[in-house]
Amino acid sequence: MSEMLSYDFMQRAFVAGLFIAILASMSGTFVVLRRYSLMSETLAHSALVGVAVGLVAGYNPLWMAVVVAIASAWLIEYLRSTFSLYSDAILAIMLSGSLAIAVIIVSLGGAFNNSLFSYLFGSILSVTDEDVQTIVIFGTLSLLFLLLFAKELYFIAYDEEVARTSGIKVKFLNFLLVTVVAIIIALSIRVVGSLLIGALMVIPTVAALQYRVGFRNTMLISLFFALFSVVFGMSLSYYYSLPSGATIVLSIIVIFIISLIINKK
Amino acid sequence: MKYELPIFDVKHLNFLVRGQKILSDISFEIFEGEYIAIIGPNGGGKTTLIRMLLGLETPTTGEIKIFGKKLRAFKEWYKIGYVPQRATLVDENFPATVEDIVKMGRIAKRGIFAGVSSEDREMVEDAMIKMDIINLREKMVGTLSGGQRQRVMIARALASAPKILILDEPNTGVDMLSQQRFYTLLAKLNKEENITILFITHDVGVIADDIGRLFTINEKAIICNDPKKTLSCEEVSDLYGINAHALYNHKHEHQQ
Ligand SMILES: Nc1ncnc2c1ncn2[C@@H]1O[C@H](COP(=O)(O)OP(=O)(O)O)[C@@H](O)[C@H]1O
Ligand SMILES: [Mg+2]
Repeated sequence: MSEMLSYDFMQRAFVAGLFIAILASMSGTFVVLRRYSLMSETLAHSALVGVAVGLVAGYNPLWMAVVVAIASAWLIEYLRSTFSLYSDAILAIMLSGSLAIAVIIVSLGGAFNNSLFSYLFGSILSVTDEDVQTIVIFGTLSLLFLLLFAKELYFIAYDEEVARTSGIKVKFLNFLLVTVVAIIIALSIRVVGSLLIGALMVIPTVAALQYRVGFRNTMLISLFFALFSVVFGMSLSYYYSLPSGATIVLSIIVIFIISLIINKK
Repeated sequence: MKYELPIFDVKHLNFLVRGQKILSDISFEIFEGEYIAIIGPNGGGKTTLIRMLLGLETPTTGEIKIFGKKLRAFKEWYKIGYVPQRATLVDENFPATVEDIVKMGRIAKRGIFAGVSSEDREMVEDAMIKMDIINLREKMVGTLSGGQRQRVMIARALASAPKILILDEPNTGVDMLSQQRFYTLLAKLNKEENITILFITHDVGVIADDIGRLFTINEKAIICNDPKKTLSCEEVSDLYGINAHALYNHKHEHQQ
């Protein structure tokens, strides 16, 4: 453990990873309760378009991922509210559409290489100082929002209309929530990878829900599960040279299965 | 007689959906301390009407004032407690204890940056005591019976110290005995706490002695200021169709 942490790159990976575990699990509680799970998956693929543009045009891929993910989240909300379409159909279209665009950009730019692979599945080796800075800046802002409005978001998740009649600005908070989720997903693709971040967002909460406890404890259990799987998954990634996203996601799935079994009715 | 500001002042409300009239020319006032029951056939527009009072639906034409303010300008939503029709249908997986739910009632009253005050805690405690759910506070709502859930939802609405409770027959899955107990609680809130009650119900015969006025809604509204007399009035049977007869008989059975 101490040997692993003596490397600079591992220190950076752990700072980034722990931050992301906190952000993904906290926002994930609301994502799951609001039935936005598929949306997080779609945003992760949209973020990939940003990565592609960044890689090809020589901008910081993480920054570009944040920008495109936010734009995509807003577009989804706009399409949902303006056209009468099934919202899961919109998400499916956006998901495959984003992937298609990303692949075309990368192919045209000749950037099909290991770097792209690391954005798909996560890589602890590739976290730079600049990445850590980006994650800490955007991550802190997102965390502030989540802490400040946790009670309101919980009320909205429970009953959107009753929340509205209690004077809560439901539309505005929904808009902020999807924006923050987009940011968190984009930040996570460095460590967890865009194909796997959806799992880190959703599974800790779904596992925590098996314990059938109140709001606060559900959040805390989900946070603990996310932190544990990130630490355990990154260690596996280090010792066995595996993509960190894959090891993190498998760790959280094992936790989920155990939770399911011990809470079986 | 001194002039009293109505809680709701509704004038010439019309609601059309794709050319079809759902509500037409509805006008009434609701004053503090009243207990009003709303009846009417299914699809008659009762739910739509109270959704408009709460700003969840916008009338095609007409005006709604709350505490003297136009609905759009009204900000003091904590003064109104709303319990929707689906209130007793709880998602079994939703992570909420009874106390979690009742605490939500305080959010309306609190500023964004304010923490939880001792007043918040007291009001939550108070609402749980009044609704007799204090011993259930740690229980998950998904595990409660229909009658218990009903009381949790009222406690949530009560936690913000509202002037008026608006209830949309929240009684799916509630047994008869709990229902009777629920009516007694409502009457007590109205009499002892002077909380105004607007209650959509099918059981108007059972609560006839508690209520002051009766609104019958079936696209149009008929306001009966003396429900005991007017339950048999011809206007109601016109609006209600055959059900008016049943209602009338039901009330008589109850009184025997
Ligand atoms: N926004 C809306 N769009 C379409 N139809 C509506 C809308 N609001 C209400 N209705 C229609 O209005 C009628 C009255 O419904 P509702 O208010 O639920 O009646 P009640 O509560 O008396 O049973 C129903 O036929 C319903 O379909
Ligand atoms: Mg109804």
